[in-house]
Amino acid sequence: MSVTHVELPASSHIHPPPDTFIKKYVFSLDHKVIAIQYFITAGLFLVFAGLLAELMRVQLMGPNNHVLSVAVFNQAYSLHGTAMVWLVGIPIVTGAFGNLIMPVQIGARDVAFPWLNMLSFWMLPVAGILVFASLLFGAPQAGWTEYPPVSLQLPLGESLSLWCAGVFVIGVSSTITGLNFLVTIVKMRAPGMTYTRMPLFVWATGVTAFLSMIATANLSAALAGLFIQHNFGVPFYDVTRGGAPVLWQHVFWFYSHPAVYILILPAFGIVSEVIPTFVRRPIFGYKAIAYSSAAIGLLSFMVWAHHMFTSGLQHWEQLFFMLLTMVIAVPTGIKIFSWVTTLWRGKIRLDSPLLFVLGFLSTFTLGGITGVMLASVPADAQEHASYFVVAHIHYVLFGGTIFGIFAGLYYWWPKMTGRMLDERLGKWHFWLMYIFFNLTFLPMHWAGLMGMPRRVATYDPMFAGTNLFVSISSFVLAASILIFIYNAYRSARYGEPAGPNPWGARTLEWMIPSPMPYYNFRDVPIVLSGPYDYGKPLPYANISQDLAMTPVR
Amino acid sequence: MKLEQREPLLDSGFWRAVAVMTVISIVLMVGVVVFPVEKYLPEAANISKPIDDLFKFCAFFGAPIFVFINGFLLYFSIRYRRRPDEPIDAVGSEIHEHHGLEVTWTIIPSLLMIVLAVLSYLVIPMYYPTNQAFASAVTLEAIGHKFYYEFRYPGLKQSVMNELHLPIGVPVTVDLTSAEDEQDVHNGAVIHSFWVPEFRVKQDMIPGIVIPIHFTPSEIGMYRIVCSEFCGLGHSHMWGKVIVQTRAEFDAWYADQQRAAASPIAAPLSLAGGNPSAGQTIFNAKCTVCHNAAPFAQRKVGPGLAQLFDDPDHPDLVTGKKATPDNVADILEHGAHGDMGVMPNMQANGLTPKDVADLVAYLRTLR
Repeated sequence: MSVTHVELPASSHIHPPPDTFIKKYVFSLDHKVIAIQYFITAGLFLVFAGLLAELMRVQLMGPNNHVLSVAVFNQAYSLHGTAMVWLVGIPIVTGAFGNLIMPVQIGARDVAFPWLNMLSFWMLPVAGILVFASLLFGAPQAGWTEYPPVSLQLPLGESLSLWCAGVFVIGVSSTITGLNFLVTIVKMRAPGMTYTRMPLFVWATGVTAFLSMIATANLSAALAGLFIQHNFGVPFYDVTRGGAPVLWQHVFWFYSHPAVYILILPAFGIVSEVIPTFVRRPIFGYKAIAYSSAAIGLLSFMVWAHHMFTSGLQHWEQLFFMLLTMVIAVPTGIKIFSWVTTLWRGKIRLDSPLLFVLGFLSTFTLGGITGVMLASVPADAQEHASYFVVAHIHYVLFGGTIFGIFAGLYYWWPKMTGRMLDERLGKWHFWLMYIFFNLTFLPMHWAGLMGMPRRVATYDPMFAGTNLFVSISSFVLAASILIFIYNAYRSARYGEPAGPNPWGARTLEWMIPSPMPYYNFRDVPIVLSGPYDYGKPLPYANISQDLAMTPVR
Repeated sequence: MKLEQREPLLDSGFWRAVAVMTVISIVLMVGVVVFPVEKYLPEAANISKPIDDLFKFCAFFGAPIFVFINGFLLYFSIRYRRRPDEPIDAVGSEIHEHHGLEVTWTIIPSLLMIVLAVLSYLVIPMYYPTNQAFASAVTLEAIGHKFYYEFRYPGLKQSVMNELHLPIGVPVTVDLTSAEDEQDVHNGAVIHSFWVPEFRVKQDMIPGIVIPIHFTPSEIGMYRIVCSEFCGLGHSHMWGKVIVQTRAEFDAWYADQQRAAASPIAAPLSLAGGNPSAGQTIFNAKCTVCHNAAPFAQRKVGPGLAQLFDDPDHPDLVTGKKATPDNVADILEHGAHGDMGVMPNMQANGLTPKDVADLVAYLRTLR
């Protein structure tokens, strides 16, 4: 490395760190503190939403159960879906991981608009309170999709306004986070950090930011329509007065299909970071993985109506959306094949982050295959709105996003807190979660194909055995999260100090102390080549050399 | 790409693993082909088999993809684990691209997708009538209500509720829609779905739109109609039946229906001779879908009915009339619209006049 130190221009001065508790921990402008705020808040919502799911599984343990009333059951699944998508999934993969890692990985000292970042975060608790407060007044019951006209009808829609307001607020938060991240990635990369030298997590976060920024406005529009019809009677979705119920579906899914990729692309990014680190070799097909993220992002705007194959589309529409939906499987496949190939001839260390990634690849593959089955219009006739879809969505969003989130947590926990998590507990957590995830959701495919619709509080007795099995598995699945919570507590009390780079990784966040100091980099780093060339000298200048070692735990 | 290793890049262990995965894949693929779907779920319409075949096409090619991805994950992560005797900073292969491989795994899935799309598109016209080719088919109307299905046959004056009788082998087109008597936003029609799992037919019933769906029943039997689109508090219980009959049985049933239409029930309902225990059986079979035999507040869709005739807080029925046996029978006969939803009428609930008398007698014992 010939370049060792470069004098910085005078403009890169450092603000003094905040000195009061409120400025430091509550209304913080520091992207790392905001990330932790996102983790804690969304983590709480994850627990609530998970408990709602377990409530449903208790009701579904047998046919004609009366543990919950039908209304409470409907509220449980509606808020479970709402919270998991908007209050848990999107905030964690963008707000939490994006904030924690993306600015450091591009060598920046913060995001482009720290104040907007703080505003984005504070919309999350507001949205969460609005959505969960609806439980006090009779929460909406028509599922997280809230299809009108049924969602507008009393008593189902008693507090639909609260729900609309909550989701609207988190939508605005997501939009401005997208804007913030996109500007950060475009404008604030360290010298030498060309687009093809960016870590793949940054690629994924960039595409996600673009999707959040463009797509979420459509959700806001759909919600505004629902809110206005509910409160002021303007009949956007009322067919008897010139509206159309299917209009909601189109606008909603025009957002919500890209939203699926908002949920999964950052998890793809996490996978792309964890694999080379624990396999000790360059990632296979860097450019293919990066460009396929962009391709997925673009295609995700053109497939929304595959959620509506049974809603009476024209035949050419069905062909169009079927074809593009199938096409989107190709870049996704390229990613998976590239990741698997990266394992070939590595020096693999099977630590818990990599275990979660392997679990991700294993389960997400099945979710991808069932996704293609759902894309075929005639096959979809049997699968749509049944437990097959429930299984599919959990294979991609639990088997995908949640496994990705845990991979990222185990991977970056030392960086975030400065302490290690317990490896044995991590392995227990992984194996329990992996096994009981599959035992919970695999049988649902079968129930769905045999004719069990979703969103029902009771079912044909022929599904009794399957549902009892699923319910019991789901209780163990939920319990496996307790291991992580205990592990986090244990790490805070007794965790061994992590040091700057416990995994011997090569991206920029590992070149600075753990936890990351205020303003991240004393000197702005200079990037000389890509981040995954294991075995070669580090591709950075202006990094203090004692930290840039690559010790392996 | 310069390689110095003497050993081949793909060693014998790799090929052994590939061989094992190939065998497992072939077993699964053969399993997919021979899997007797109809043993688990009858293929009761002409379109069932083509749709199952599309599913099998996906499963047939999905199986090796699943096996090879999971197999390589397992094999690589064991085979290439860092051994304890290897240096702690040992690194793996430097190979990070291979154009042939990458082009292959782009082209092959793309081709598979195109074939699947074409095959799927060929099946679509089988269940959505595209032109006059289906002019010969019998056209029925199916209307989704909260929370039952109404079927209208050509030549029948009255509708048939919740039971769709079809003759085997006759192509039918069912025009699907959804409607309610009340048109205001709170009680208006909602989206339902008409799903017959044994036919592989599913189509949403959308207010204001008529969507035709086409099929030919091909197997005699009784099958479920399931609502798969959330439609309200009664959604979990919105079930109907399809009864596929021989032509002779169907004609007999149809003639019965015509006779019933010709001689409407002239006499008013008589509550005399109601049998409480018979009423209890009917109540448990039908009414408990929406009502508990418990106090008013323990509602499901509608209120609990245990104190129907003796509740000081609710002296009036949903119709605004006093809670007398005759007024209750009136609701059972004609149905009611209330703030909690819709109570279907006698015909929709499949009740005879005798059933109504039995039910009222039973409800009176609950006082």
